[in-house]
Amino acid sequence: MKHLPKHLTERWRYLAVEITTWPDASISRGAFQRELWFAAQNLVGDVGSADADLTVFDFEGGAGEYETVVRARRGEVGPARAALACIDAVGGDPVGVRVRGVSGTVRACEERYLGRAAGATGQRHVAFDGADRPAHVRDDSLDVSLPDGYVGAAELDFE
Amino acid sequence: MYEAVHPYPDGRSTPARYAREAARGGFEGVVVRGRSAVDEGCGAGRADGGDGGGGDGDNGDTPAGPFGAVADRYGLDVVDAVEVSGDDRSSVSGAIGNYRPKTTLLLVRGGDDDVNRLAVEQVQVDVLTRPMRGDGGFNHVLAKAARDNGVRVEFDLSSVLRRDGGHRVQALQDLRLLRKLVTKFDVPYVVSANPRSHLQLRAPRELAALGEVVGFEAAEIREGLAEWGRLAARNRERSSDSFIAPGVQRGRYEEDHRGTR
Repeated sequence: MKHLPKHLTERWRYLAVEITTWPDASISRGAFQRELWFAAQNLVGDVGSADADLTVFDFEGGAGEYETVVRARRGEVGPARAALACIDAVGGDPVGVRVRGVSGTVRACEERYLGRAAGATGQRHVAFDGADRPAHVRDDSLDVSLPDGYVGAAELDFE
Repeated sequence: MYEAVHPYPDGRSTPARYAREAARGGFEGVVVRGRSAVDEGCGAGRADGGDGGGGDGDNGDTPAGPFGAVADRYGLDVVDAVEVSGDDRSSVSGAIGNYRPKTTLLLVRGGDDDVNRLAVEQVQVDVLTRPMRGDGGFNHVLAKAARDNGVRVEFDLSSVLRRDGGHRVQALQDLRLLRKLVTKFDVPYVVSANPRSHLQLRAPRELAALGEVVGFEAAEIREGLAEWGRLAARNRERSSDSFIAPGVQRGRYEEDHRGTR
């Protein structure tokens, strides 16, 4: 079938999204896409999610920090942001979601907002809550491993 | 715009980590809700808010309050607060009197109708948080009392953000009723996502977008987030040494310079 003339094609907006997790979690594009669809459907219903037509594009990262591009129909960026905000966990792993910016093309989106090299990561031991604990370090943030899960801390807590 | 967070051990992140992530998300400040622990034997030591790190030094009495070092590092305002939670009138009332002089913001967590009523009738209380929690409720009587006493009512977005199904429907219905009362009686309000870890923080734009979907106006959400900052500024001014009464303060106008000019 002949493709549509340019003035009749869909117009899109591309949201640069940053996803953070605890360091032991691992999430994939498919799992995130599924959660996004669920979130949109639960929040704005079938009609709203069809309008927004949310699609997850490239998905990169690891060890607690991921970057991705989410496509939304132009004019539906508000509901798209809202649906992203409602993603609380991916496959049972709690996640933090932040929209870094919105662009009109994938390329602009990637060039402007993505690909910020993640800072140095590593492991060290810190004194926390009266005991010596292992912690994952990224830049000046530390995720301290406690028996009942991780606690988010910062360099400043140990100075 | 400010977010009011639950620090470790109540939540899963330290105030410093919250401040770091909030600054990246575009917040101007963070309110750290220390817990009063009324129902756990009145631990007076909690009044300084959640000091998450293991015996770190940033909780000292710096001029900028207990979180001065955190505020300096991340370039945003960090406000100390105590959230009083209790199940009966007398313990909550005692905690209010106890913590008011020690903290910048005093919040009372909604409980049953009795606690809600007490909170909105106390001028000393800054914010009634989660008024719809548990078996408590909010009505026109409480709304008028809150307005007259300047007690802010909190719109809690946590259930909308992090629950689904019946719980979320219930939360949305509660928000709708609260919004109706707040608009009708012009009750002052604050907005918070009640994050319990830095992962649960959501940026102001995201919260505004969510608010628009569930029936708020984006401006209302921003107002509610900014109100925390205005409250903190007001209370700091009132507790400063130069403050005498609203509109009256000790200044540099006492000397008479007319003769010397």
